[in-house]
Amino acid sequence: MRTRFLGVWQIAAVTTCLTTAACEGPTDPMERGAARYDQCAPCHGTKGEGKPELAAPPIGGLPRWYVLAQLDKFRIGARGAHLQDSPGLRMRTMALTMPTARDVEVVAHYVSSLPRATSAVPTVAGADAARGKAAFAACTACHGPDGAGNPQLNAPPIAGQADWYLLTQLNNFKHGVRGANPKDTTGSTMKAVAVALDDQQVKDLAVFVAAMPRG
Amino acid sequence: MISYAVEQVSTYAKDIDFLILLICGLVGFWFFVAEGVLFFLIFKYRAKEGGKAAYMDGTDPKHTRFISWPHRFILICDVVIVVFAVKVWMGVKQTMPAPDQTVRVVAQQWSWSFQHPGPDNKLDTADDIKTLDELHVVVGQTVQFELVSPDVIHSFSVPVFRLKQDVIPGRAIKGWFKTTQTGSYDIQCAEICGIGHGAMVARIVIEQPERYAEWVAANVATATVPPAPAAPAPAPAAPAPK
Repeated sequence: MRTRFLGVWQIAAVTTCLTTAACEGPTDPMERGAARYDQCAPCHGTKGEGKPELAAPPIGGLPRWYVLAQLDKFRIGARGAHLQDSPGLRMRTMALTMPTARDVEVVAHYVSSLPRATSAVPTVAGADAARGKAAFAACTACHGPDGAGNPQLNAPPIAGQADWYLLTQLNNFKHGVRGANPKDTTGSTMKAVAVALDDQQVKDLAVFVAAMPRG
Repeated sequence: MISYAVEQVSTYAKDIDFLILLICGLVGFWFFVAEGVLFFLIFKYRAKEGGKAAYMDGTDPKHTRFISWPHRFILICDVVIVVFAVKVWMGVKQTMPAPDQTVRVVAQQWSWSFQHPGPDNKLDTADDIKTLDELHVVVGQTVQFELVSPDVIHSFSVPVFRLKQDVIPGRAIKGWFKTTQTGSYDIQCAEICGIGHGAMVARIVIEQPERYAEWVAANVATATVPPAPAAPAPAPAAPAPK
């Protein structure tokens, strides 16, 4: 009888350990990030290549600090809480589904480890990259002459980003859909710059920056 | 009984709870009768030494009375359910009381946004208040809502109201509720609408008129919305869960 009870306790202990382990998921940051990224893949693609048809930008290979900062912004409503930002509203909800700050960190780590997406096919019509090059002078102070970004200034790499996404975000900054929230302290800098651009300059810039070689 | 688990906060919540209990009671009664008879017969006609099966072709009414009479009783129960259900349906869905307030509810992947009428109590005027995640109404007032969706089908569900109404893209579906107490309660999407469906939640805040007026005064100044930016990407509908 004693032996039988011991067996029952052993089975219960092993089952509990396995269940707990299954609930907590993998402990390795990369594995845990990959598991958490399953939620992102339907929109952003399995390799972070993005899906324009879902307004989901390429995110593979973005710096960890930038992904982390944006996820935090979505989670606190500093980004993606504007009623006219439909893709942002979706991303905000998805960011909020991550249960802990640790999950945000590991998924940012995983996204930054993904390969940089190849340059997307141009989609913006009626733009002149040469004029965009001239307008880009205003961006170099933060994003650098080659668009590689500068973490010290919270400026992400933008060279080679999809033109439709650059156009959307520049327009969002220009019209206060992004960067106007008081909680978005770094976005407000970008908003101040974008407000000065006219619609043609926004297009020209998007096309020029999208065509820049990635570092 | 149901109100112990989920409060009744609309005038028609108790009618819907009564219907649920009526259906549970009638269906539950016949379930236990049927199971009782089944197990009784299994026990009574269990295998015995020398037992012989009788052949019955069902033509003798005496043999089928244990099926035909329950059928008749259950049919009566069905009629009772239908009568009460139609009465509740007429009261909730087929009538539209004159509203004290009209709000627009926008369901989109994966958030709820709301358009309140503002100080002039008229929708689609300059003083409208648009909010994300939070709907404000005055307790005791009849609120008419208009449900719209720019992307896929959602369902506007407020459990404490016992209210659930699909939101269909391309249509503006109207309905109403009248609240019975103050508080803050869940709004949820009750129609699978993509991978973020489970997190598509909001709150309805039911306030006294004075508190509501304060809220309106505090928010009307910030209710101006900037013009929409260009939308280069096609209107997307994100994928359903795997």
